[in-house]
Amino acid sequence: MDRRDFIKTCGAIAVASFLDTKFFSEALASQEGFLKLYSKAILLKEDGTPLTEKDIAPHREYIFFYPFASTPCYLINLGDEVKGAQLKLNDGQTYLWKGGVGSKKSIVAYSAICSHQWSYPTKDYAFINYYPPDKPSETTKKAGVIQCCAHLTVFDPKAGGKVIEGPAEVPLASILLEEEGGKLYAVGVLGKDQFDAFFENYKTDLRKEYGSTAKAKELVDKCVVMEVGKYVKEIIRC
Amino acid sequence: MSMTRRDLFKLAGVGALTASIPSVGFSAAERVKKAEAILPPSKGSRVVVCGGGWAGLTVAKYLKKENPNIDVVLIEKRPNFFSCPISNEWLAGLVSLDFISHDYNQPASKYGYRFINAVVVGIERDKRRVYTNHGYIEYDYLVLAPGIKYNYDAWFKGDKNMAYYTKVNYPAAFIPGSEHLALKRKVWEFEEGDFVITVPPGAYRCPPASYERAAMIAYVFKKNNVKGRVIILDPKEDIAPKGPGFRAAYEQLYLGIVEYVPKAQIKEVDPVNKVIKTTAGDFKFADANLVPPHQAGELVWMADLIAKDKDGKPTGWADQDPLTFQAKADPRVFLVGDVIGGVPYPKSGHMGNSQGKIVAKIIASRIAGKDIKPTLPDNTCYSMVNGEPQEAIVINVTYDYNDKEKKIVPKPKVINERSESLAKATYEWAKSMYKDMFA
Ligand SMILES: Cc1cc2nc3c(=O)[nH]c(=O)nc-3n(C[C@H](O)[C@H](O)[C@H](O)COP(=O)(O)OP(=O)(O)OC[C@H]3O[C@@H](n4cnc5c(N)ncnc54)[C@H](O)[C@@H]3O)c2cc1C
Ligand code: FES
Repeated sequence: MDRRDFIKTCGAIAVASFLDTKFFSEALASQEGFLKLYSKAILLKEDGTPLTEKDIAPHREYIFFYPFASTPCYLINLGDEVKGAQLKLNDGQTYLWKGGVGSKKSIVAYSAICSHQWSYPTKDYAFINYYPPDKPSETTKKAGVIQCCAHLTVFDPKAGGKVIEGPAEVPLASILLEEEGGKLYAVGVLGKDQFDAFFENYKTDLRKEYGSTAKAKELVDKCVVMEVGKYVKEIIRC
Repeated sequence: MSMTRRDLFKLAGVGALTASIPSVGFSAAERVKKAEAILPPSKGSRVVVCGGGWAGLTVAKYLKKENPNIDVVLIEKRPNFFSCPISNEWLAGLVSLDFISHDYNQPASKYGYRFINAVVVGIERDKRRVYTNHGYIEYDYLVLAPGIKYNYDAWFKGDKNMAYYTKVNYPAAFIPGSEHLALKRKVWEFEEGDFVITVPPGAYRCPPASYERAAMIAYVFKKNNVKGRVIILDPKEDIAPKGPGFRAAYEQLYLGIVEYVPKAQIKEVDPVNKVIKTTAGDFKFADANLVPPHQAGELVWMADLIAKDKDGKPTGWADQDPLTFQAKADPRVFLVGDVIGGVPYPKSGHMGNSQGKIVAKIIASRIAGKDIKPTLPDNTCYSMVNGEPQEAIVINVTYDYNDKEKKIVPKPKVINERSESLAKATYEWAKSMYKDMFA
């Protein structure tokens, strides 16, 4: 963790720690370098009111932007409880993923930037998507997975975004969610995020869409959540 | 055994040098003899990568990512990069040249490897030296990623004039550069008659490329109302891979325009009289894309690392460990990309990129004095079959290692049903590959 992240983390802990002090201190102690806490951001519906669990229909794919104004994440209610898992990076290091949140512990969120070569949902297309149990992928025949059509990596949303198959070498970064008084918050990013590569590779596109790189990199404190189909013109399945 | 000095001079004399070295009274051979080191000795370990294509570019970048202290030198003879993947779409006018060309300076400056725009003309493995037309470079590890060369000898039995005539008049366009531009001109200027495409026998670069090319040329003919046919002469029994997808496209979109001829092994090519004699009959053509058999690029021959068959004859492809890509004859040399032999991997850009990352990891760990267990590469290959609307099909192959039989086993997945979604994914595939190598 670099100095900037550390300061950010400390700031965020002050806010977040009253939620679950034990979790954060334990997590930080053991996951240094994997967990980055950012501004705590409330998840909102499109009308600006707080998003609650009942607004997240099972197996639909919702998008929001966190921790930066331009970094897309997917929010999915997987229907049933999703237990925590241990994730492994390609250098052998491991970290713990806490599992789902909500009353059924079924709600998960992941960065929608593919950990292979950073394909991500834009306003035009989404090549990386969730395939619900009743809509398996045509190529891999897998369902209940997040699959990227750029080079067909398949990720497991039930296991912290781990790679099931394909060229990606590290899991999708997961977005740490917390529930408080029925409201949902994004508080941090766990795993190997791809933000640096993303900002570097899509400089021109981001500048076009957000006006400047600085705007694209602004940290958010609230996130509007909407169905992916409403944000992107076309969901590309494969 | 590495190359002898005499061999080296012989090679240099053939002419690779002549264009780029000023003639100041030395013969080409003498110039090589007088060659000087073009880089000071490296403080740490130096890896020289020969060939800045899909494989070499990936090795160079990922070596620096693995360990920025490794002195990485990439030698490439072309001044800029031109992609074969998506070149068929470009041939059909679906994307611009910008999309498929890239500059070498960007990744070199960004990742901190040295890019040397030079021709490799000799390799002395015992001295660990690579000779270029600008001088020599010493290495600790050598990566050879020169792609393919054409084997016109298989058609013309050493008749260099005939090979030259064919190359210029009916370019294969499987090695990027002028040949692709020439092919595009030919396709767009074609007026009527039969346009023949030959599919090479044995292992060759990008197994679906010719079938995709046929579809794209047929699309251009259809669009331009050209009274022409595209005839595919294939030594195989059927189209592979993605056979059903290509067949459906030919039958549904290009009926009467594309004719697929299986079991057409070439007996004789007569480019002057425009006739090809095959086991499936003789074909006269108005114009053609004559693709000869392929072999590993010249550098692997130069380094004397070509595999031999049971009878001691060269197989045409590199002799490397199937898992580590290390030359069997020389632990300091790694062979990567289209050159490799003896594995069930298709020769594709995706494959070269995937292997490149593995090789970078292996070399970086060797330099660090560690051994790692290599992973297996993978391949995804989209093929455009329609231009309006743009539609594509796809194959993805992952591999398992069967420890018992010591065999690499492919696990293919195919979508033969063409769709616009897959056409979009084709470009997403390419865009992110280019970003991976250059951005
Ligand atoms: C029409 C067509 C379509 C294709 N479509 C696809 C596709 O959709 N997807 C896909 O994955 N693959 C595709 N391919 C295959 C892909 O282009 C190759 O598999 C890939 O380029 C192999 O990478 P490589 O690094 O081994 O060789 P290359 O990319 O050819 O790179 C070799 C490099 O070495 C350089 N070199 C050679 N000799 C010397 C020397 N003596 N000195 C200095 N430099 C030297 C060359 O100039 C070249 O730049 C296609 C190929 C063709 C022809
Ligand atoms: S970018 Fe997603 S699999 Fe390659």
